[in-house]
Amino acid sequence: MMGQAAASNPRPGSHPGSGMVDPAALMKIRSMELRARAIVHGFWKGIHRSPYHGFSAEFTEYRQYTYGDDPRTIDWRVYARSDRFYIKRFQDETNLRCHLLIDHSRSMGYGSGSYTKAQYAGTLAATLAYFLFTQGDAVGLATFDTEIRQYMPPRNRPSYLRRLILALEAQPHGRATDLGPPLQRLAQMLTRRGLVVLISDLLASIDRLERDLGYLAAGGHDVVLFQILDPTELSFDFDAPALFRDIESERDIYVDPSAAQRGYQRLLSKHLAQTKSICQTRGVDYHLFATDRPFDLALLDFLQHRMRLRKQVRRVASPGSGGRT
Amino acid sequence: MSFLYPLALTGIAAVGLPILLHMIRRHTRQRVAFSTLMFLRTTAPRLRNRRRLEHLPLLILRCLILCLLALAFARPFIPRAVSKRPERVGKRLAILIDTSASMRREGMWDQAVNAARTALEDAGPDDRVSIMSFDQDAQTLLGFEQWAEIPPERRASVADQQMSELSPSWARTELGRALVTTAETMEDDEINEEGRAGGQREILLISDLQQGSGVEALQAYEWPEGMKLTVKLIRPRGTTNAALQLMADRNRLASSDRDTLPRVRITNSADATAERFQLGWADESSTVDVYVAPGRSVVVRVPTRTQPSAGQRLVLTGDDHDFDNTLYVAPSTPGPVNVLYVGNDDPNDPTDMLFYLRQAFDIDDVLNARVLRRVPDETVGREDIEMAHLVVVADGVIGQSVAPLRQYLESGRTVMLVLRSPEAVRVLSDLAGTENVDSQEADVDQYAMLAQIEFDHPLLVSFADPRFGDFTRIHFWKYRRVDLANCPEAQILAHFDSGDPAWFEIPVGRGSLLVWTCGWHPADSDLALSSKFAPLLYSALEYGGTLALRQAQYAVGDPVPLPIRTMSSRGNRRMRKPDGSVINLEADQQTFAQTNLPGIYTSESSANTRRFAINLPPKESRTDPMPIEDLERLGVSMAPSNIAIERTEQATAQSSFSEMESEQKLWRWVIVAALAALLVETWLGGWLTPTDPAPEGEQI
Repeated sequence: MMGQAAASNPRPGSHPGSGMVDPAALMKIRSMELRARAIVHGFWKGIHRSPYHGFSAEFTEYRQYTYGDDPRTIDWRVYARSDRFYIKRFQDETNLRCHLLIDHSRSMGYGSGSYTKAQYAGTLAATLAYFLFTQGDAVGLATFDTEIRQYMPPRNRPSYLRRLILALEAQPHGRATDLGPPLQRLAQMLTRRGLVVLISDLLASIDRLERDLGYLAAGGHDVVLFQILDPTELSFDFDAPALFRDIESERDIYVDPSAAQRGYQRLLSKHLAQTKSICQTRGVDYHLFATDRPFDLALLDFLQHRMRLRKQVRRVASPGSGGRT
Repeated sequence: MSFLYPLALTGIAAVGLPILLHMIRRHTRQRVAFSTLMFLRTTAPRLRNRRRLEHLPLLILRCLILCLLALAFARPFIPRAVSKRPERVGKRLAILIDTSASMRREGMWDQAVNAARTALEDAGPDDRVSIMSFDQDAQTLLGFEQWAEIPPERRASVADQQMSELSPSWARTELGRALVTTAETMEDDEINEEGRAGGQREILLISDLQQGSGVEALQAYEWPEGMKLTVKLIRPRGTTNAALQLMADRNRLASSDRDTLPRVRITNSADATAERFQLGWADESSTVDVYVAPGRSVVVRVPTRTQPSAGQRLVLTGDDHDFDNTLYVAPSTPGPVNVLYVGNDDPNDPTDMLFYLRQAFDIDDVLNARVLRRVPDETVGREDIEMAHLVVVADGVIGQSVAPLRQYLESGRTVMLVLRSPEAVRVLSDLAGTENVDSQEADVDQYAMLAQIEFDHPLLVSFADPRFGDFTRIHFWKYRRVDLANCPEAQILAHFDSGDPAWFEIPVGRGSLLVWTCGWHPADSDLALSSKFAPLLYSALEYGGTLALRQAQYAVGDPVPLPIRTMSSRGNRRMRKPDGSVINLEADQQTFAQTNLPGIYTSESSANTRRFAINLPPKESRTDPMPIEDLERLGVSMAPSNIAIERTEQATAQSSFSEMESEQKLWRWVIVAALAALLVETWLGGWLTPTDPAPEGEQI
């Protein structure tokens, strides 16, 4: 069976309804920065009553003071209540370092509609970057195919966002997709914990995906995986037989879609199920997006998932604190 | 309807191609770029089932176009009645069958007879046929006239009967002469039968065409125009043929030493497959092995005989054909050659002629010549004269000796008369029987030389070659001028440069009187010191024919000279042939020509018995086939083979068909029809084929 997201995917160009912005219409805006800004502002309008002001300004945990801790972090009110020294740990709002890891393999250049997966992924990444910039977080960028091709360390300057978006507008030119070397390299480069957003179509062998994601998970990073697929890749609803050419390997095979569709969908479903299972195993936040899915919905999914994660952290932290005062 | 190139109709088989393509799901050339093929597998093109042959009219049109194209390339035409070949005119056919000894090889004669019968069966009732055979001579078995007189239904039986009496002989092959004879016979028949002239003329030669066939006669013959020769080659079953030939070692054969054995040459055919043979005497068991490579020959000494006998027969074994494997060797009984010299000369005086005569003959141990001297004053004995092979008269003879000498001359012998003085001309008158022959000493200014030599005469023919014909170095100091005005039968053999006769011949009976007007002793000339002297004397000795009788080896068909009958050898003479038959010889018969069998012949007379051997001609053993092109090079016009005739007829028919086709040009209309069908197909194809929707995905 198809994945849940894929099963609900409308055909390319179809309007999602429910007042969301049609990605096809949005992609007509040439400037990626404007696209990101429109998405984020529209998103703000839609959720302006939301109590969430961001996840990075929140309290995270209490921990008993031990010798060597900075005395300035002691919560004196807790001490007043419990006569014990606790230090109060907050999420460092300005220290959230997000790395956008974008797949620039050639398969990302495929698109059955008016825009490609790479353009969709770039717009999504720009949206996230803009969103995080507005919260004052530092955002960096790394593009990869079989290795990291471009790396921009996280910064929080407004001008840096423009450079970031310019880098995102570059066309994919890599050959194949291989997550192993890029993720391993990034894990070595990231000394501080942060958020890693991986955007890829994952149209490659996933035999080593669990190990590759483990590089980041082992570093304590918060990993979010956006798998971007074209609706045609999900459904394979071609009409006429044709010579299908692999964009990456340029290999041709003759395929009659009417005969090959069932087999394709079966193999793809198996592939997506394995990917999701691996992500769950590694604690990776997994999202499957078809390129006709509105960006604001994608952003919303992302934020909702982050909020669920925060609640889980709170629930875990509260009992561990031994009773909050 | 016919086709100029019917093979092009096989192109109709190409209609299977569109049918197959219509059954196969259309294989698109469209390429679609896709992000990955990892979930795709190659799909095999699927055949449409019959229900899906929805473009049947299109298929029919396409098949029709291919059929029309094939039809156009086959160049169709509507045949018209072609004028038939002219009626067969009766032809002249001469069947020439080889009956030479080489046809005695196993199985060849049957092949030859069958070939002749086949040719006779093919002969039409209007044909004029002649059957001839040949070995060294051509013989007519059934002439054109006889053939024409025989009713057609009986011709085959008569011809068959003639051929059944025919068998190979032992004679050699004279192919050239036989062809010339046959051609002339056919031309004679044309002349005799003018009403039937103009038909085809053909000679069918049934022969093994061996290399030893004599074709020299064709060189001087202009082959008649329009006469064709067809060769039916008879092939032997085995190709190895070795032959024997006695070496002409006269010195050894003439020797009286019995331990000295003759030598034989053994030849092997070029296409032989064996090279080891055994040679031995027929009546003895011991043999010697002889190795002869194919195409080569070796000379070996014959094995020693344990028991000498009169009849000697050498046999060679080990090859495929034994017709030429027997060599008859006649026992040699050479006697001395006697030269009778009548003169007063001292044999040891170098100023006399006899001295030089003995020098010339005594040096030769081959002939074992003896010079007998008789003085003119004595009566020359009849026995001396009859024993002499040559008589040289240097001085006058007394009257009693004239009659035997004249008789000697008339029996066919030769007497050489040397006029050492003008008075000796009297002997000339006596021996030649002529009167009033004057002679006188010539007045020679320093020396005389020979001029106007008749090199065609048998006495001088050995000097005919320009290398040997220079007599100018011989100087004659003195000679006798003889007036031959009263002797018209005299033939002058050589003149002096003054015009006087030097040597002349007067026939007397069957013999000849050779007269030399100048001696060879130094007082007359330096002829005796010349290299010409000894050959001249031997020519005079051979001119009498006595040396030919000493030969003991002849070939089949050769005329054998018979000994000249003398006064003492009067009586019946007969010849005993190898098969035991006896032939009585005529009184004045000089040669024996019935030598048609190999073997030992015996000439019996009251005086002596002479044995000689007749063997197969050596050329007959050269059995390798002669290339037919050799006959063509000699001008013989060969008939085309049946295959060539068929090809010619086919080419002629093809040419007439080509003309018809080029006149009608139906292929143009077929091409027009094909183009029309193509237009309809194009329109129908565009109309029937739905417009393909734009393929999804990115197209290349």
